Amino acid sequence: MSSIRLRLLKWLIAPILLINLAGGALAYLLAWTPAQLAFDQSLAEAAASLGARLSDEGGQLWLDLPALAEAVLRSDDGDSLYFAVFDGAGRQIAGDRDLPVSQSLHAAGARTRQIFDAVRLQQPVRLLMQPWALPARAGNTEVSHAYIVVARTLRKRQQIQQATLRALLLLEGLFALASIGLIWFSVSNGLLPLQRLRTDLNRRESDQLTALAVADLPQELKPVVHALNGLLEKVGDGAQARQQFLANVAHQLRTPLAGLKTQLEWLGARQSEAEAAQSVQLMLATTERMIRQTNQLLALARAEPEHFAATRLEPVALHSLIEQSIQLFVEQASRKQIDLGFELQPLTVRGDRFLLRDLIDNLIDNAVRYTPAGGSVTVSCLPPPGNAAVHGGMLVVEDSGPGIPPERREQVFSRFVRLDDRASGSGLGLAIVRDIATVHGAECRIEDASTGQGARFSIIFP
Amino acid sequence: MQVLVVEDDAVLADGLRRVLGEHGMTVELLADGSQADLRLQHAETLAVMVLDIGLPGLDGYELVRRLRARGSNLPVLLLTARDAIADRVRGLELGADDYLVKPFATAELVARLRALVRRNAPRPSQLALGQLALDLDAKRARVGERQIELSAREWAVLEFLLQQAGKVVSKQQIIDAILPWGDDLTHNAVEVYVSRVRLKIADAGVTLRTIRGFGYMLEAGPPAP
Repeated sequence: MSSIRLRLLKWLIAPILLINLAGGALAYLLAWTPAQLAFDQSLAEAAASLGARLSDEGGQLWLDLPALAEAVLRSDDGDSLYFAVFDGAGRQIAGDRDLPVSQSLHAAGARTRQIFDAVRLQQPVRLLMQPWALPARAGNTEVSHAYIVVARTLRKRQQIQQATLRALLLLEGLFALASIGLIWFSVSNGLLPLQRLRTDLNRRESDQLTALAVADLPQELKPVVHALNGLLEKVGDGAQARQQFLANVAHQLRTPLAGLKTQLEWLGARQSEAEAAQSVQLMLATTERMIRQTNQLLALARAEPEHFAATRLEPVALHSLIEQSIQLFVEQASRKQIDLGFELQPLTVRGDRFLLRDLIDNLIDNAVRYTPAGGSVTVSCLPPPGNAAVHGGMLVVEDSGPGIPPERREQVFSRFVRLDDRASGSGLGLAIVRDIATVHGAECRIEDASTGQGARFSIIFP
Repeated sequence: MQVLVVEDDAVLADGLRRVLGEHGMTVELLADGSQADLRLQHAETLAVMVLDIGLPGLDGYELVRRLRARGSNLPVLLLTARDAIADRVRGLELGADDYLVKPFATAELVARLRALVRRNAPRPSQLALGQLALDLDAKRARVGERQIELSAREWAVLEFLLQQAGKVVSKQQIIDAILPWGDDLTHNAVEVYVSRVRLKIADAGVTLRTIRGFGYMLEAGPPAP
């Protein structure tokens, strides 16, 4: 799995940590070098103070170091100081015996100061070896040479070293943490537009193919979203072409269906033999079903938001529109002995009268179709309540059918379960109802019937 | 009653010939717009025309336009497979009198054709449905051979229901029909008249159906048990 976040974090955090580490090392070196120099300097001073007490007594080197002076010299807070003095030939003439002075060092006749870390009796020390030339005395032209060796234990040095290291580690750790936090935040912040894009896309219904807004997007996302919009447009065009094709096919089907129906109605009316008459009735019922499906396909195509022009909206007297539907359903209802009733109060809504007629027809048809024989269906049309902020009027169809359980109520409006409609007791008609309500800005609601048995469909106009 | 049917779908045209023939109409069939235009030069004998819109030759719109341009007032019912608003409105604007969207119920077609013809025809002297007959001139109502007595308001209600037989009528429509001078009548009063009429025609082989909260429909056939 490749993630932009992970890539960015990997390529930002790892190098920054390395740079931090290198910086820390450098800072340590820079801080330590002057300290080391100061240590070495104090060793050199000790050596010089010893050298000042060296004298040449006729070829014999002599260190004049009273006990008090030695005590002063050796006294060092915390650390121990060791020293040794050698003559030019490498013989020790004073001081501590066990300093790790390489014999080869003075044997080689080193003439320069040497300073290095060494170990004395398993104790690390800093050791300085200073060649020393005694000034010539009167009567003796030869300059005598000596080597002064001074060593000091490293306790204080180590303490300082550790303190420096601790401070640096703490500082660098804080820097590293701050950097990581900052990077994490920046990366997340930078990826926010992507997140928003994802939310926008996720929220969409499958048939919502309008272009994504480009205006507020960062420069880098714009080409991607432009490409995505191009794709959406193509998909939308394809869907529209399919819908158009479907509408054309449905229109083409109407004339042959009309012919079939007319012929069958004629045949049914004059068929006196019971068996044959029944067969004709079956054919007629099938034809009716085909006609209904065809009309619903067309209604569905009509309710497509792309085909819906808001300019066509006009004030429509909903109660009159319902009255126009009554004739159709009185016959359907009387065949099933359904008590079809109306409670129509004047209600005017803004809408497309043909689509609203489709909505009413499908809503009533649905109720009559799925209410068992002997049941009742009541269509009401209610004006806005005194408080018009609640709604701008309602169309309510209540039946005494089986009702719709709450968990299926959202489903019955779906266009994608529409053909498998028998099981839920609701079909394509409700998808049309929802589509038409949606383009009118109206809300569809399903509840239990007020009598307790059956379903209550409300279309709540804005 | 002579009907000209201009429809290029052979099965539908044949079906219309059979169905309309069954209802006592004489049907003349044409399948081509240009031929129909020629035929309509002499439309005097025709009572009504059923006209498809999509035709070879001339389409239905053009036929209606030419017909009206010649000053003919022959009633025209358009048959259309398309029910887009533009299609519905255009035909009516050009001078058609009514339209039906395919496919339709033949009963509705017959009812609408009759209504179109009636509009031009003189008022009939008798209305009948099932065993029920109203003699409009003598203001006498009969069920079979038996005469029934009706008050003036009951008569007006029954006459209107019979004129509109097979169609749902609202209480308000009944009020408007029986009180032409704007008198006022409550819906409750209409209910009272209708229930009295219902009793008097109970054995007339007709059904007076109540549509709860809206109105009534008078239709042939005995009431369901």
